[in-house]
Amino acid sequence: MEKQAFSIPRIGGRMGPSYAPIWGRLGKWGGFAMLALIYFPLVWLILLSISHNPLGGIPGAFSLEHYRALFASSAWHKPMLASLAIGLAIALICAVCATIVGRALPNLSSPGKVIFLFVVPLFVPGMSMGAALFIMARAVLDLKLGYWSVALGHFVWAFPFALLIVLVVTIRFDQRLAEAGRDLGASNWRVFWDIEFPILMPGIVSAALFGFLMSFNELMRSIFLRGTVETMPVWSWIQAAAQQSQVPIIFSLASLVLLITLPLLCGTFWLLFAWGKRQ
Amino acid sequence: MMQNSAAQADPAAAATGRAGFRAPWGRLSGMNLAVSAIVLAWFLLVIVPILVLFAFSLFSTVQFRTVYQPTLDTWIGLFSSGRWEVTLRTIRIAMTVTLFELAVAWPFALWLAKGCRSKTVQAVCLAMLTIPFFLDMSSRTIVWRAILGQSGLINTILMGTGLTDAPVDWLLYSEVAVHFGMIVSLFPPMALPIYLSITLIDDALIEASNDLGASPFQTLTRVIIPLSLPGVMAGVVFCLGPALAAWVEPGMLGGGFVNLISNSIESAYSALRYPVVAALSAFVIGILLLLLWIMYLVVRRFGDLSGSFRVQRG
Repeated sequence: MEKQAFSIPRIGGRMGPSYAPIWGRLGKWGGFAMLALIYFPLVWLILLSISHNPLGGIPGAFSLEHYRALFASSAWHKPMLASLAIGLAIALICAVCATIVGRALPNLSSPGKVIFLFVVPLFVPGMSMGAALFIMARAVLDLKLGYWSVALGHFVWAFPFALLIVLVVTIRFDQRLAEAGRDLGASNWRVFWDIEFPILMPGIVSAALFGFLMSFNELMRSIFLRGTVETMPVWSWIQAAAQQSQVPIIFSLASLVLLITLPLLCGTFWLLFAWGKRQ
Repeated sequence: MMQNSAAQADPAAAATGRAGFRAPWGRLSGMNLAVSAIVLAWFLLVIVPILVLFAFSLFSTVQFRTVYQPTLDTWIGLFSSGRWEVTLRTIRIAMTVTLFELAVAWPFALWLAKGCRSKTVQAVCLAMLTIPFFLDMSSRTIVWRAILGQSGLINTILMGTGLTDAPVDWLLYSEVAVHFGMIVSLFPPMALPIYLSITLIDDALIEASNDLGASPFQTLTRVIIPLSLPGVMAGVVFCLGPALAAWVEPGMLGGGFVNLISNSIESAYSALRYPVVAALSAFVIGILLLLLWIMYLVVRRFGDLSGSFRVQRG
């Protein structure tokens, strides 16, 4: 497959448009510059978090004092626990629902409309979706907001991604395998558990992981739907917006979250694409 | 529960074999019930609140109470003096950011989809474009304060090299900073859909265009650009929507000097003026819908939109 790709004339390649080199290179380095701008703050954040004076702007006089202050403080424990719990719940619900819907969609005659229904939240800005759910729950139904409404908002945000990821593997799934299993007398549950699940597993696990991460880092919808409760991003946001004294701790906390999140994400990508292809 | 519902579906599917599996919709088995329940719940959770949002914007507030009587007062208030200025500023900033992203992301997506020869580089770039979706916005944005601030990295470099004597103060807490913050965070949503639409263009089409004697420029404008339009549409919506509703960037990098729609929503929210919250949110969705419609018309004029999907399937 790789060989074939190389033989095809490409833009900016040997047989590609002759005008392209300079523009092609501009496009390439423009994109690289943007990627650098996206990732540079993450490096800077970690460097500042181990500096003596993170608010000074320049890393230096490295020390772990803010990490010590972070572990001495307990103010962030409750929001952290809340975010972890909501994230785990969203991960589980997303994985189960995305598997159920993702297995059914490829068998529909016109799945387009149903898929569109499920990806609508991707087109609606977080603020508008948060406001819509808030007005529905608070003003129309007159419910008391809390962790449940935050979780609902997170579900609406995370599920489209989870579904699309599961669809990647269910569309690739060869239905003949399931039929063969059925012809050989396996029950539907055995067909699912012994044949489908091992093949769909990377997608389902990725859906759960992405669901967790989307929920864990969600801010916009939580601000509207939180009532009086706080999740981790909301807590950081309030601390950062209110006063500067807590900011060094936020830097340390955000660095720790980042150092846990990034390997998880890379592992998910590897699981979804490299591992799935190898099967 | 899974076992139970699967067992219920068993006889029907086993009896009809492939045909039964192809058209399971008609059968009310446990699994289909679950799918229908999820679709229904989703409809109640997503579509109904959005419709309610539009309906609610037609109410008004009198003394912190919502008056449930259809009126256009809230919408008229949206276009009154001070708020209209905020709306215009938001649209201007969002448009600037979107156009900038388009200008940077389109060539990059073309290179990534058709010009990049290394599969590894391609995969790493795609992963790097996807990862920011899962990272906390506020901690990423707050660092820019430390970089753009008076004693931050940029000013230290500027003063260290002797380019300026005093710190440059328009870098932070200004419109420049808000533009900058949005441009950084909205690059992936613009680049990914465009990449997807360009990567779906069959290489044979480009080859054919070259073989038939089209100049590279003609190939670009007649083949690649029209076929990438669906991706451009998606990218513009994914970029303009969050830009219109930007909350974190004006809050953290605007420092209270750059008021956008989100600030209006925030103040209406804390003043319990829910119809205003609804109207402003609906306004953002409305702009996106209008934009989608305009672009749909343009694309239909430009070329057959379904053509790009035929390529995808063929």
